[in-house]
Amino acid sequence: MGSANKSSASRTARIEEMRRAEQARERRNRILVVAASVVVVAGLVAGGVVLVRAQSDDGRSSSAADDAKSAGKFVTGADGVRAWKGELGREHVTKSVNYPVTPPVGGDHNPVWMNCDGDVYEDEINATNAVHSLEHGAVWVTYNGDAPKADVEALAAKVKKTPYTLMSPVDGQKDPIVLTAWGHQRTVKGAADPAVDAFLEKFVQGQQTPEPGAACTGGLAK
Amino acid sequence: MRRPALAAGAVAAVLVVGAAAGWAVTSAADGEERALPVPAADSADAGFARDMAVHHQQAVEMSYVVRDRTDDEEVRRLAYDIAQTQANQRGMLLGWLDLWELPKVSADPPMTWMGMRAMTAGEDGALMPGMATDAEMERLGRLNGRQAEVFYLQLMTAHHRGGVHMAEGCVRACEVEAGKRLAQGMVEGQESEIRLMAGMLRARGAAARP
Repeated sequence: MGSANKSSASRTARIEEMRRAEQARERRNRILVVAASVVVVAGLVAGGVVLVRAQSDDGRSSSAADDAKSAGKFVTGADGVRAWKGELGREHVTKSVNYPVTPPVGGDHNPVWMNCDGDVYEDEINATNAVHSLEHGAVWVTYNGDAPKADVEALAAKVKKTPYTLMSPVDGQKDPIVLTAWGHQRTVKGAADPAVDAFLEKFVQGQQTPEPGAACTGGLAK
Repeated sequence: MRRPALAAGAVAAVLVVGAAAGWAVTSAADGEERALPVPAADSADAGFARDMAVHHQQAVEMSYVVRDRTDDEEVRRLAYDIAQTQANQRGMLLGWLDLWELPKVSADPPMTWMGMRAMTAGEDGALMPGMATDAEMERLGRLNGRQAEVFYLQLMTAHHRGGVHMAEGCVRACEVEAGKRLAQGMVEGQESEIRLMAGMLRARGAAARP
């Protein structure tokens, strides 16, 4: 009996010890679960913020387009490309058109497109013909008197090798070298600027093209 | 003690799933790694690609014919523009059907995908709304000069009206983004050309047929 009592006492002590150990383990687990939950909630909140912000960005740009209607304005994207937010006319007109930006990024235009099959024009061309080329999916490379001669020559060589592009001087433009597609425009630092190839890749017959499949041949060749 | 821990664990699991879903939605919204959808043979996407390819082909043919029947630069250039554009767009439409591994023909009548099964007679080669009959195509090939120009502008105006109507059907019902975009471009481009041709007809003392 005595030994039984003793062992009973030690069993009680052992059980007590086990219970303490289990409580400690549960506390530890609870802390782990709470910590994990906090991390997950924080992640969820961050994800939600990113999601909401992405959606509200879309909302903002589309409401800007609605506000602008006939006037329109440029909105510069993260890639440095200025996108025209607003309406761009698509009518064929034989009179001259007063475009809001130089060089124009779209709008009413002459019935005859400027040939844009890698065509390089030494003299200024009529903007109303060039805008028709933009409608056909061409990229228009323009430069003013400040553009270095070497850059102009290098760009001309690139244009000649690239169907659905055209190039001409535009004295009235603010920056030395400008690339234009329908509804989109950017300046580049020079012929070697990687933004040149990026712009051509995105916009030569790109998704912005109002008339996909239309020709860059058979139009005005000067 | 055990039960609250379990509950906390369950809540955490739900949150992990929710966060994963949120992340998935965010990355889908970024537009990366999107799987291209393949439409069914009886979808609007496939129907539009099939029918508009046929519709466009007649406009290409009509434009080649008139370029041989007149020296008028304005009409010849319009015909060049339409032939080039519609031949290219036809290639896009047929290319999509190839990629989707769908047939170029259907046993159903044209425009069935627009719910227009009963409206298409297909009489004398005019398979779809706006298309010219074989007799009209032959007549265009016999006319010369001003007469050929006027008849071409009249036939093409009707052709464009039918084309705009069909393209609007795809803008409404198509689900593949590239198809919707091309259809929207057709609506705007051809409506603009209808107005252009109205002016060209007026200048030739004529008008579009009702």
